[in-house]
Amino acid sequence: MTSKRILMGNEAIAFGAIKAGVQIASGYPGTPSSEVMETIISHAKEYGIYAEWATNEKVALETAVGAAYSGANAIVTMKQVGLNVASDPLMSLSYLGVKGSLVILVSDDPGPHSSQTEQDTRAFGHFSNIPVFDPSTPQEAYDMTKLAFELSHAMETPVILRTTTRVSHGCADVLIEEINPVSRDIEGFTKDTRWTIFPKLITQRHPLLEELQIRMSDNFSEYFNHNSFNSVSKGSSNIGIAASGVSSLYAREAIKDCQGIFSLFKAGTAYPFPEKAAYEFMKDITDLIVVEELDPYMEEQFLQIAGKYHLDINIHGKKSGSFPVSGEYDVDVAIEGINHALDKIGSESCCLSHSGAAVKAEDIPPLPIRAPTLCAGCMHRTVFYAFKKAAAKLRSQTGIDSVFSGDIGCYTLGNARPLNMVNTCLCMGAGISIAAGLSHTQEFSSGQEAKQVAFIGDSTFFHSGIAAVVSAVYNSADITIAVLDNHTTAMTGHQPHPGIGVTAMGSPAQIIDIAEVLKSCGVRMVKTIEADDLDKCIDIAGEAMQFEGPSAVVFKGRCVAICKGTGQYIVDEDKCIGCNLCINQFGCPAIFSMSSGLPVIQDTCSGCGLCAQICPSDAIVPKEVSQ
Amino acid sequence: MKFDILIAGVGGQGVVLASRLLATAAMDAGFHVATAETIGMAQREGSVTSHVRIGDDVCGSLIPQGKADLLIGLEPAEAARNLIFLGKDGNMVVNEYAIMPSTQGCGEYNPEKILEFLKDSCPGTITADFTKLAKDAGTYKAANVAMIAAAAGAGLLPFSQEYLWGVLEKMIPEKYRDVNRRVFDMAIESVSGKTGKETAKDQ
Ligand code: SF4
Ligand code: SF4
Repeated sequence: MTSKRILMGNEAIAFGAIKAGVQIASGYPGTPSSEVMETIISHAKEYGIYAEWATNEKVALETAVGAAYSGANAIVTMKQVGLNVASDPLMSLSYLGVKGSLVILVSDDPGPHSSQTEQDTRAFGHFSNIPVFDPSTPQEAYDMTKLAFELSHAMETPVILRTTTRVSHGCADVLIEEINPVSRDIEGFTKDTRWTIFPKLITQRHPLLEELQIRMSDNFSEYFNHNSFNSVSKGSSNIGIAASGVSSLYAREAIKDCQGIFSLFKAGTAYPFPEKAAYEFMKDITDLIVVEELDPYMEEQFLQIAGKYHLDINIHGKKSGSFPVSGEYDVDVAIEGINHALDKIGSESCCLSHSGAAVKAEDIPPLPIRAPTLCAGCMHRTVFYAFKKAAAKLRSQTGIDSVFSGDIGCYTLGNARPLNMVNTCLCMGAGISIAAGLSHTQEFSSGQEAKQVAFIGDSTFFHSGIAAVVSAVYNSADITIAVLDNHTTAMTGHQPHPGIGVTAMGSPAQIIDIAEVLKSCGVRMVKTIEADDLDKCIDIAGEAMQFEGPSAVVFKGRCVAICKGTGQYIVDEDKCIGCNLCINQFGCPAIFSMSSGLPVIQDTCSGCGLCAQICPSDAIVPKEVSQ
Repeated sequence: MKFDILIAGVGGQGVVLASRLLATAAMDAGFHVATAETIGMAQREGSVTSHVRIGDDVCGSLIPQGKADLLIGLEPAEAARNLIFLGKDGNMVVNEYAIMPSTQGCGEYNPEKILEFLKDSCPGTITADFTKLAKDAGTYKAANVAMIAAAAGAGLLPFSQEYLWGVLEKMIPEKYRDVNRRVFDMAIESVSGKTGKETAKDQ
């Protein structure tokens, strides 16, 4: 029995995995991938699945690999930059393969909307010799997930299911089958030299791995005959359009007024590229337009095939200058690109047009810029502001400047005006190591002496901060580490982590205490403080910055997005002197200034009291008191 | 049939929930749906949008420029920011309640002027302070529900308001159901007699 449900692409993937009989699931949260694991977790008990959040993507992948070695059906989930962290086991794994099945869900983020990079996981598949499926809709994501498990088992290889933001974070009506509980019987681990990587083993396995790529490519060419993920259709002109993933829908909509003119090629199997099918398609056309987000991955595959078989064909895509090389695509981008290519081809056949909007972009009056910012009452704001104050004091007393290295999480938003408290940010866990690197250059530098401070969130600390702390202590880096511990992984949707005493499935767990970890790593000054009293935070920040050698402060608080505040504050207009310090100093989004020049506090205030603590005339008071 | 709805607002206003409700109601009414939502960094008080595409065929979830049949603006500036998506015959429902950006120096943002511009650009635009309406009914947070109810009440959705309430009943936790029912009814009441562009044309 099937039923239709509105599902987010990520939920559809989770249901596909459950339907395929997934037994073990591990992952690390990352936008836009997190809801896959969250959905599996919320159904884990019901279907007898073991699901966990790992400390990072490398650990998650290795955990899933162990499970798959013993014959289990396993899935591991992460965002695209997470795959960089997991790339060490990934690159070796392709040589050994798996026994049960292993699906690696990786979400790319064209734009990017919520990421450090615009990398393309299809290229990673190519690099690591691991097949990549590229769904275009939540329905395809559901169906492909099931197929990925089957293929993984049949070919004894891990399979990457690669999504993009619009597939992962889009909802659609999805037809899903009835799901039965997973039977837990697996063969178990059998000892075999196959599982121990060694140079000699690799010399044996490598030729087989390359041979597998060809077999899979042929297999995927076969899909064009019976599987809707890969399809071709013939048009009346000599022009073809090829697209992958969600771009195939944009291309289809872009040309809907010229239906039947173009031949169409859609490949849901991005890697290994279905070369035979592509060759058959290319041989009957003179021009090929490739519509794809991120890397010119398909375009390069077509170029290679054209060269290999000496085909007389022009290929139009990013490399030929018809399409933008970066950024997210949509129907309008597809129209522009296709028109650009048609113009080059000199085709009379048609020119695609955009729809007329009610209003032209240039007629819209200037609008306020609304950059993302820390929530009203977020503890991070208090800590950033405390360090800002402590750094100013340090500068005025000693002439020593401060450099603030940030990290990945909500607190990257400490970069926003007027805080301006993130001077470097690179990738997960990099803040501490970059601060260490900066500190080691002090003795060579003729520039101003500077104290190095690194901010890191609790979940990021466990993800990749600890190794950086050990290295900093070992090499006597003169840095101050500020741990922003709000008891959750906030940015990605509030997942638990090893510091809070609960597992993904909600069972009690051993709490790994961050301050204790720092102490046992040899950090000599480790302090813990609640991030609610600004003056105390300023004092402790100053103390840590003046400490010679590695020092650390763990600031504790709660994320107001999940722990509602205690009350609200209000401005007493009779007392307010209109200095606007509460507006200009730290940018709480709940406070704005009226045209009268006086500050007003909106309903979104969560009552942290930070503004009240800096008001020079005690004009900001708890709401109840004033009423 | 093809009907595209764009919902625009500020992170925290419940744009995602509004699009889920519309999508589910559309599916219940027998259509295909595709949505695109803003989740992640921008949800922290940034500009957010949801695209909801309803129709007989499956399509990509992003609405092309000039194609939206309905723009629901939970905040005046956010409605204006997305006006290029609205088609020439499209309708608009806009919340008069403005959210001031905190640190930008607010001299730059005059919500009244923006609302005027919106009404000039799209005759028949329905505007009201839906945040106040929701607050009066019990919670300012239900402005999203008020606005989609208003769109339904004005006959601007491709399905009846019963489908919408049916979904709300299913998706809203029981303890919030009464207040949402009040918001729903008050919003529909507030637009009685208003029907978007048709009215404008008739006059
Ligand atoms: S107390 Fe002040 S700083 Fe804290 S959330 Fe409310 S307005 Fe913002
Ligand atoms: S979600 Fe939590 S951690 Fe993130 S900005 Fe808001 S309060 Fe801060």
